[in-house]
Amino acid sequence: PAPAEAGRAPGPPDGGWGWVVLFGAFVSIGFAYAFPKGLAIFFKEIQGVFGTSYSEIAWVSSIMLATTYGAGPISSILVNRYGSRPVVMFGGLLCGVGMISAAFCTSILQLYICVGFITGFGLALNLQPSVIIVGKYFLKRRPIANGLAMAGSPVMLCTLAPLNQFLFENFGWRGSFLILGAILLNCCVAGALFRPIGARTALVKTPVTEEGKDALKGKITEDGPVESKPEEEGGKDCFEKVNQYLDFSLFKHRGFLIYLIGNVLMFLGFFAPIVFLAPYAKHTGIDEYSAAFLLSILAVVDMVARPATGVIANSRWVRPRIQYFFSFAITFNGACHLLCPLASSYTGLVVYSSFFGLAFGMVCAMLFETLMDLVGAARFTSAVGLVTIAECCTILLGPPIGGILIDTFGDYKYMFIKCGAVMVLAGTFLFIMNYYNYRMLAKEEKERKTKEEGLKSVRTEDEGKKNWNKDSTQDGPELEPLREKGEEVKKEMNGT
Amino acid sequence: ILTGVSGATLEKNVYVPSPTTVELTCKLDETSNLKNPQVTWKKESETIGHTSKTPNSWTIQLTISDSSKLGSYTCILKGEKEVSAVFHLQVPKIEGKEKPLITYEGDKAVMICKAEYDPKAWAWYMTNGTELVSIDKILPTEKFQIKKLSANVNRLEILKLTKQDRGIYWCEATFDLGKSKARFEVRVLSITAPLKPFVAVVAEVAILLTTIILFEIYSKMRGEGGEKEFDQIEQL
Repeated sequence: PAPAEAGRAPGPPDGGWGWVVLFGAFVSIGFAYAFPKGLAIFFKEIQGVFGTSYSEIAWVSSIMLATTYGAGPISSILVNRYGSRPVVMFGGLLCGVGMISAAFCTSILQLYICVGFITGFGLALNLQPSVIIVGKYFLKRRPIANGLAMAGSPVMLCTLAPLNQFLFENFGWRGSFLILGAILLNCCVAGALFRPIGARTALVKTPVTEEGKDALKGKITEDGPVESKPEEEGGKDCFEKVNQYLDFSLFKHRGFLIYLIGNVLMFLGFFAPIVFLAPYAKHTGIDEYSAAFLLSILAVVDMVARPATGVIANSRWVRPRIQYFFSFAITFNGACHLLCPLASSYTGLVVYSSFFGLAFGMVCAMLFETLMDLVGAARFTSAVGLVTIAECCTILLGPPIGGILIDTFGDYKYMFIKCGAVMVLAGTFLFIMNYYNYRMLAKEEKERKTKEEGLKSVRTEDEGKKNWNKDSTQDGPELEPLREKGEEVKKEMNGT
Repeated sequence: ILTGVSGATLEKNVYVPSPTTVELTCKLDETSNLKNPQVTWKKESETIGHTSKTPNSWTIQLTISDSSKLGSYTCILKGEKEVSAVFHLQVPKIEGKEKPLITYEGDKAVMICKAEYDPKAWAWYMTNGTELVSIDKILPTEKFQIKKLSANVNRLEILKLTKQDRGIYWCEATFDLGKSKARFEVRVLSITAPLKPFVAVVAEVAILLTTIILFEIYSKMRGEGGEKEFDQIEQL
């Protein structure tokens, strides 16, 4: 009964309420990415008030970033259990509480906790579910949807930066944190728009789940050991339980592993150039305002590049080969960094910033789209959690390693070379591995086709499903990945 | 031991922290129209002779022994046109904060004064009407704390702020050749000041949330007559 039910469930709407959800995701993702960057304006003042060094203040940002990415799996588990809506609303509340309490902090340690952990965790509960629900509401137009949702980040940054400056000048840092806490509560509003949709893994599984759930509840609410049967089943189901909410079988998934390795490598060189762009500009003698203007150029180009990339990625020619497009974007990004040391004048840096903005936007727009493409919407929830916690390490390591290179050699160019090299390497790796992956997928598809043609009894139903798949996708002959996804969803249903 | 200037009319600030010898050079750009001009060095209006001369550059050497030697030195190149450059020799400036410092009642205010060179002494003043009142000597230490973070950075903390504490504060650094001042403006806000925008934003969030929840309930009631499948999914 379960597989048939799932088969009859309607596909992603690709529109309608989906656009409202997209707007909510835009806001939520925007806050998640832009908020930590926007806080930098307050740091100098806080550094003076608490009498700390610059690196101690920088830890606030690092803890926040680490928590946002590190809490990914927790986010995934919660979404698998409760759906996106309550998780995002709770996340928004947590962010608000975090910043409001930060306004009353009297030491740097308290700031680490309030701004770093609490707000960071709240943002994690915002980011992942938003990305997940976009994947649930869109299929045909998913690249465009992803591109638009990710565009939230530069838009929010361009809004937050002057807003933070204004708040700081009028209310000081404490008042600003208080008001920012209230502003973050808007994430709850964004979350409220995330109407649940689609077949959920928890629903589809067999009655074993029910007992497992009760056993777990029993374990949590009662401190002492739970006697007799529930305990036994709970013990056995614990691993299954975790596996139900966080799909560890993904580690056997070829596409997932390729994505994981490639991305973890890429993030080592992804953020450092942005962090050091303004200091590098000042180092070459450019004044502070022009240096800040470079970042503005980057943000504006980024803002336009993301939806544009989404549209391109959605087109008939690119979508089946979207992994190649992604690899290209990463390699392009790396090439920009490698060429940056050649730009010595301000005009050169402006050109670099524009191309960097373009490349950065392209990569970000497709970051989650490619993962969805590889693992399918159903397993994406767990996939995104596992990927973010792995990326967490390299994201945190990137800028400090760049900083060490700059301090050791006294020259920024080695940092750019390192970042460029790492990204070109990552891009090439992804390109080659995905070529291999596509070939394997095509082979498996052929094998499956010949197997199914042998089974006459389920033939008609399968054809019906295949036709449905064909109809709901574009009229391209080579949409292996999309059909593969359909097969994957089927595989999962049959697997339980 | 310092600088050269080339081209058209220019000004340059030269900071002299302690008695030393200073060399000022005026260099003429090769592309300039002036050939073999007549050169005069002036301090304010008085003329002084120049010491060394090379093609297209003229230098004077000055011994700055006390504050009277500080001031504006001009080199004038006269030919068909007159071109001049001014060097302002002065005591180093110290850095304060141009924008006002926003603080709250009961909180503490922190003012950090930085200098590029090490001064001999630091002093802090607050303005009482038109008078400058010295802080370090007179006023109590539970309220005011002065810390020396390093030789060239000094810090004033004002604790347990009240509305009366607002105003202009001065940080003064004493160098061998003179004194330099930096200005800080302190504003003390009451806690209710940021509360107004805060409450406004929270109200906006509450209104939007209520609207969305009501809308969801309304559309659920409308959709109840529809397919059962949707219902099952939505109950989540």
